[in-house]
Amino acid sequence: MKEWFQEISDEFVLNFIKDNRWEWIVEGLKNTLIITFFATLIGIAIGIIIATVRSTYDKNYETMKKHKSLGFYVLSFFNFVCKLYLTVIRGTPVVVQLLIMYFIILSFSNDEATIAIITFGINSGAYVAEIFRSGVMSIDKGQFEAGRSLGFNYIQTMIFIVVPQMFKIVLPTLCNEFIVLLKETSIAGYVGIVDLTKAGDLIRGRTFSAFMPLIAVAIIYLVLVMLFTWLVGKLERRLRNSDH
Amino acid sequence: MTTNETLIKVESLEKAFGEIQVLKGITTDIKKGEVVVVIGPSGSGKSTFLRTLNLLEEPTGGKIYFEGTDITDPQVNINLHRQKMGMVFQQFNLFPHMTVLKNMTIGPIKLQGISKKEAEKRALALLERVGLADRADAYPSQLSGGQKQRVAIVRALCMQPEVMLFDEPTSALDPEMVGEVLDVMKSLANEGMTMVVVTHEMGFAREVADRVIFIDEGIIMEENTPDELFSNPKSSRLQDFLGKVI
Repeated sequence: MKEWFQEISDEFVLNFIKDNRWEWIVEGLKNTLIITFFATLIGIAIGIIIATVRSTYDKNYETMKKHKSLGFYVLSFFNFVCKLYLTVIRGTPVVVQLLIMYFIILSFSNDEATIAIITFGINSGAYVAEIFRSGVMSIDKGQFEAGRSLGFNYIQTMIFIVVPQMFKIVLPTLCNEFIVLLKETSIAGYVGIVDLTKAGDLIRGRTFSAFMPLIAVAIIYLVLVMLFTWLVGKLERRLRNSDH
Repeated sequence: MTTNETLIKVESLEKAFGEIQVLKGITTDIKKGEVVVVIGPSGSGKSTFLRTLNLLEEPTGGKIYFEGTDITDPQVNINLHRQKMGMVFQQFNLFPHMTVLKNMTIGPIKLQGISKKEAEKRALALLERVGLADRADAYPSQLSGGQKQRVAIVRALCMQPEVMLFDEPTSALDPEMVGEVLDVMKSLANEGMTMVVVTHEMGFAREVADRVIFIDEGIIMEENTPDELFSNPKSSRLQDFLGKVI
């Protein structure tokens, strides 16, 4: 037992204490959090825009088709662009997207973290957009009609009546998307970013001891996800106060 | 209470959903202060007729004049006119994420630009009238069906509309709650509110209506005062229909 404990302790010192290797983990964690945070913001922004275009198109297609005004063609065009974006982003692996961004589209840039943020943001936006859209479509038509019959225009009805209800419905799914995003950033090492995963792997490469660094990385991810889930759970309970 | 002033003028109104022609040319005038009850078999187009009046359904033909303005004209800002046409739905359609008070005041505050305080005063007075003042801070999910529909009525009234449109307001209610909603509607009618009511409540039609319109197969088959229409139906369709519902 004592030997076993000594072994663990030696391993720990070797992997984290010696040469201040724990600093890599901290650095990696910082990068992972920065990339996830800003990619989330971009993802939500893109998601809102795409979902707005797509659900406006879906809801008004029938009426607008009859008038064939300029607005109809503009909306149809944007809807097409959005659909194309969704198809391409959801149809290709995010690793490939990251490599394309790094080596082709943004090859002039040396700022790997920014490239990663943009890539993950654009990727996440596609999924968030569909989450929002399905949320909007799931709101009862009567809510929309009640808003319009009071005299609200389309956008006011969305903002005051549909979106607040939609947000509550999609919150668990949205939370899930960000958990996926957090874990997906672990591929950032592909383009030379020292994120949490890469940091663990670098330590492994130096110490030739895989167990400690990789398990430590796994535990950190797990704790982050659990913390985030707990926070969202609290928010969900707060929002639920209107349905008893 | 009926006056001679026309509030809504409907001219050969048509509505088709794809190939299916639901309204086949409806012409009628609704006077200020008049209570018009629309009856007819299900699928006759009576709900569609009501919903075209505030353009929730866009007509495919004909015209609707509200206070002299042709609201079927695409150039007209329909949102302004809808503010003056209160609507009550079969399924209540209260906003579940807002309290009763917020449900009522959001329209006046955001659309008529009155202060929150003034809007709440207006709302509370209306809630008082329908006996729900103590429920102002409740959420819709905490109310019974009858209470929900009474709130839906005062929410529409809070906009101080010129006309109230009722789309089968008691059809989704448990029988013991129908009375409380009809009572509110009766008192509204007695105060001179212009009302168009689609309903299956023949007792209400008989008692409150100034005029009853019988719609079948997308046209007005017969219209008359309730006394005449119920005691002396002329068309065989109406005789059939009344035989089934009374």
